[in-house]
Amino acid sequence: MPDIAQSPQPKILVLATLAGGYAGADSTGQSHLDYPANTYVLPVMCPVMFPPEFFVRAFERGIDGIIIMYSGTDSPYKVEADGTAKLINRTYQLMKERGIDIRRLRLAAICTVCVKPFLKEVNQMAELLKGIGFVKNELASRNASAQGAPA
Amino acid sequence: MPDNDKLKIAVYTCYCGGNISDVVDCEKVAKAMGSQPDVVVSRTDMSLCSDAGQSQIEQDIRELGVNRVVIGSCAPTLHEVTFRNALIRAGLNPYLYQHVGLREQDSWVHSNDHAGATRKAMHLMKAGIAKARLLHPLEPIRLQAEKQALVIGGGVAGLRAALDIAQQGLRVVLVEKSPFVGGRMAQLEAVFPTHENARDLLRGLIKKVVNHPGIKIYTQAEVMGVAGYVGNYCAQVIQHSRGVTEENAEALLSACQQEVPDEFNYGLTRRKTIYRPYPGCYPPLPAVDWDNYQGEPISLNGGEPIVLEDVPTSVDVNVGAIVVATGFDPYEPRQGEYGYGELKEVVTLPQLIRHLALSKANHALEWNGHPVRDVAFIHCVGSREIEGVDEPHEDGRINNYCSRVCCTATLHTTEELRQHFPGLNIYDLYQDIRTYGRGHEDYYRDALLGGVRFVRYHGEEHPQVTAASAGDTHPVLIRVKDSLTYNEELEIPVDLVVLAVGMQPRQIDKLVNMLKVSRGTDRFLLEVHPKLRPVETAVNGVVLAGTAQGPMNIQESLSAASAAAAKVVALLGRGRVELQPFVAAVDAEKCNGTGACVEICEYEGAIAVQTFTENGKEVKRAVVTPANCSGCGACVAVCPNHAINVQGWTLSQYEAMVDAIASDIPNMAEVA
Amino acid sequence: MKDLKVDALVVGGGIAGMQAALDLGDQGFQVALVEREPSIGGKMITLSKVFPTLDCCSCITTPKMSAVAHHPNIKLLTYCEVESIQENEKGFAVATVQKPRYVDEATCTGCRLCEYACPITVPSSFDRGLGSYRAIRVPFSTAVPQIAVLDMDNCILCGKCEKACPVDAVVLSQQPEPFTIHATAIILATGFELNELGAKKEYGAAKLPNVIDPLMMERFLSPTGPYGRVLRPGDGMEPTTIAYVQCAGSRDKTLGIEYCSRVCCMYAIKQAMLISGALPMAEITIYYMDIRTFGKGYEQFYQNAKAMGVEFVRGKVASIHEDEKHNPIVKMELTEEGRIIERTHDLVVLSLGMIPAVSSSGFGLVPASDGFISVPAPNASPTVTERPGIFVTGTAGGPMDIVDSIVTAGSAASEASAYIRSKTMIAESQSEVAYA
Repeated sequence: MPDIAQSPQPKILVLATLAGGYAGADSTGQSHLDYPANTYVLPVMCPVMFPPEFFVRAFERGIDGIIIMYSGTDSPYKVEADGTAKLINRTYQLMKERGIDIRRLRLAAICTVCVKPFLKEVNQMAELLKGIGFVKNELASRNASAQGAPA
Repeated sequence: MPDNDKLKIAVYTCYCGGNISDVVDCEKVAKAMGSQPDVVVSRTDMSLCSDAGQSQIEQDIRELGVNRVVIGSCAPTLHEVTFRNALIRAGLNPYLYQHVGLREQDSWVHSNDHAGATRKAMHLMKAGIAKARLLHPLEPIRLQAEKQALVIGGGVAGLRAALDIAQQGLRVVLVEKSPFVGGRMAQLEAVFPTHENARDLLRGLIKKVVNHPGIKIYTQAEVMGVAGYVGNYCAQVIQHSRGVTEENAEALLSACQQEVPDEFNYGLTRRKTIYRPYPGCYPPLPAVDWDNYQGEPISLNGGEPIVLEDVPTSVDVNVGAIVVATGFDPYEPRQGEYGYGELKEVVTLPQLIRHLALSKANHALEWNGHPVRDVAFIHCVGSREIEGVDEPHEDGRINNYCSRVCCTATLHTTEELRQHFPGLNIYDLYQDIRTYGRGHEDYYRDALLGGVRFVRYHGEEHPQVTAASAGDTHPVLIRVKDSLTYNEELEIPVDLVVLAVGMQPRQIDKLVNMLKVSRGTDRFLLEVHPKLRPVETAVNGVVLAGTAQGPMNIQESLSAASAAAAKVVALLGRGRVELQPFVAAVDAEKCNGTGACVEICEYEGAIAVQTFTENGKEVKRAVVTPANCSGCGACVAVCPNHAINVQGWTLSQYEAMVDAIASDIPNMAEVA
Repeated sequence: MKDLKVDALVVGGGIAGMQAALDLGDQGFQVALVEREPSIGGKMITLSKVFPTLDCCSCITTPKMSAVAHHPNIKLLTYCEVESIQENEKGFAVATVQKPRYVDEATCTGCRLCEYACPITVPSSFDRGLGSYRAIRVPFSTAVPQIAVLDMDNCILCGKCEKACPVDAVVLSQQPEPFTIHATAIILATGFELNELGAKKEYGAAKLPNVIDPLMMERFLSPTGPYGRVLRPGDGMEPTTIAYVQCAGSRDKTLGIEYCSRVCCMYAIKQAMLISGALPMAEITIYYMDIRTFGKGYEQFYQNAKAMGVEFVRGKVASIHEDEKHNPIVKMELTEEGRIIERTHDLVVLSLGMIPAVSSSGFGLVPASDGFISVPAPNASPTVTERPGIFVTGTAGGPMDIVDSIVTAGSAASEASAYIRSKTMIAESQSEVAYA
């Protein structure tokens, strides 16, 4: 019997706002529409609380893809729309420095009833990860090339 | 409980009556969680939200000394509060609770992957446990609440909500955009199923509202901005001038020459730009229609021409709660939809009702000066539209909902027609007759018995309405396939076509953005949950009354308004509200007053750097004002010392959850 | 002996009564909630999942039951019957009887040891006779309160429960206990019953084993049900063709029920969707005259069911009989084709309409022509009855679904609170006068 605890698939983390993406994920559930089970949605009040280092740390721990599902301009927080966009740009910068494929992090505006957009985002990320594989392999090859480089 | 007490975590995995356990192997999840560090008990339950389930949680807290609780069940919006309350009853701080959604975000979306869903449940639960370890007791923010409510909209729902709130001893400010209260109901005549006159009914309600000392009414007024939070909203209300006074009103009314289409009669008649919509309206004083009055001078009794001016004033009202009662608009058919706008013999049902009221004295039904011998009603215009069949509206959507009231309204109108004009031939083109309400079926039966000819069309194949050929007996020809006569193709020549148009929400984009309330796919305002919290929005202290939420008849609007009022009274009656403690908190040990937090914060008065004297030394430190903090956490990301966090949602809690998801579950071989 | 005085009495502990009690209690009024069954929860707690969200019904109902039981302003009185309502200058004096549970409410812990000891098995009314329970039992797993009740009609007085009870809570000598509730206002939430399965003789007169009512189907579909799956009561076989006959007992002059029962279209569609989930190979047909999916989100629900393959056939079912294998045969006129056909199904569900659960005359009210509690001014005060101080919510005032019941509960609570407040203010001003 296969050990069901061992995940065979890359892991997708979704940071979803309570006012947007998290409710959208619940709406998707209420519609009983399937998406890959290697997707883990965590609720957040507003994504601006995360520093770029948070994401890089998550990749280094073995999260293969992250989608921030925010509420965009519909957010109850006035800082959310601009603040999250800036955060993403700063994080992409840091990811490049650390040799992490920036396609592993995506930002999407998802509303409380955005069932189709929610599924599209998750499925796209799952497809992408099938192609580019586990983050640990990417980081290992980066480390290997870093070590191989002359000091 | 001191923080340094040993962690004792209780974990529960709910079957949700099969909703979760049909897909997720809850027993395996519970067993795996039982072997996680600090977990003292891990149970499953058929229905944890039941009284027995909640008692089990309380018992575990009392008997096992549990000090953190993690529950995997339905979405937190449903039962997070339920379980927090169970902790309170057992004497535990309610914020030592972590909710994990295993239904909407696991079993319901991975029904084809039981192993994957079970594995996901384990990771999510493990993440929940990881966060639970880092939870601290929190206290809600307690604030004084204004014992006053704002009602937006002066139609029947708004009026009723205002009255019900005021009758419980709270004060109410009612804001109506138009110059007169009464809303759409005032445009009706006899109402089903009692045949009372709509404006008589309204007059009774308005009288009570106007005479209530606790209600202040603003007409020609608009809410321009809303700030604050539940218990302490501040709304900016712009009040336009009436334009006339008691003294000059009648003279101005008769002297005014400029006319515009009268929206009260849906454009069938014209009215002046200084007007009263109907006799007996409230307020009785006429008003200037500032949208259409262009500053033309008006001469009074041959005197100097005067120019009327709108001098808007702004009022700030402090309220604890807001009732949204903005109502509906009748669906406006597209140009050419069933000939509307192209054939003058095609009208909407609301227009016909006004036409009948205007021509009551006549012995025969006339339209455009011609006698009407044959009339056809078409149901579901702008309702029950089908994707791929019906053309989307301007915003790309289709009205795929049923408007609920049009069937009975149509049959009620046919009854009036049959009574007043016995020789009239009436055709009723429908899909399904939905006379669901008390006494409504009688209209259907009476119409069948009374000779109304019913024709049943399918939504995929609409009736065609065209101008008749020259020389035909009737001006309009309807072609329709009748499924009651085995899909026979009928040609029905008629003098008048009446479109039973549905309801659509008003254009209230500004208000929706201001209040941050959500809309459903039908664009009506969205309740939190149709059964758990049917009149509340996701925004604390903002409730819904009437057709702003969806199609309803008068009776249903009244019930919804009263239900909304009950929520407002329960919320504000005690004069204080409690807010969730999820706001920024500064770690005094780490903060050295860099001010990065203050710089990034966009909330007035939420955070400031203050100077303290400690041990004879001056130290700078950030201080949060909780009532003004939104909990967005912008400050968290920028603090160079990691000295600030949003309580209950800290960065280290997220890191722990990420680690739990990223890592594998130990001991799984034995469990599986 | 246990007379009590409250601001409001709510009669009936179904969803409407519970919500009305909660709405009043939350406003600070003292409320008594009287329920004639041993547990609150009403019809709703027996349902499987609810439309249009397909939430697990128990997940919506049990928290409300729990909230009522724990509310500081609500006194819950189960297994009590209202006998009469007298009016006096202070309000209402409601004669009520506590029926004997033969179990002491204060000491019973709901441990169920009596139930396990009881040798007598009786058909479970909670499961609409499909399952069984003991003569002494906790009414059902999520019952509130969790207190056992002994069904004396079936008890053989063997005494095993008495011996099994660890806290000596079984009291076989209990007698009915009359008491009076003094209340300023009353909300009636007495609910509905389904019309009888045999009401329409042409539909088998309740003699066909595989023709069932929709609440039986709810128990088949419910995870807490007696079987945990859908089967034919006649022989336990898994049905592969299932039919719903709409308006079976509503909109039917011959039965004297001319009104529409409002919920049958939606519950039939919902059950059809749940059955296709439970039995993916099953063919499900709904025979209807008009589909009335008028509530918020309901039309989309109907369209989804069509897309899922539920067959909707327009026609009036004339009669139902059965073949030698007890397969029901539906004879009907296909109105769209103008011919009469017969179709055999494994299982037929009659979408029975709603009738009042109690006669309103017991409350001193004249029933309306439809038999439900009369509301004289629906377009002004939709929850006010003809008798000042008495209000109505939910299906006691005519058929309606759960969403509408909950909204009318808020409305009745608002009306009642305004009434109580006006009465108390008058009483206060009078006592001030008397004082002076």
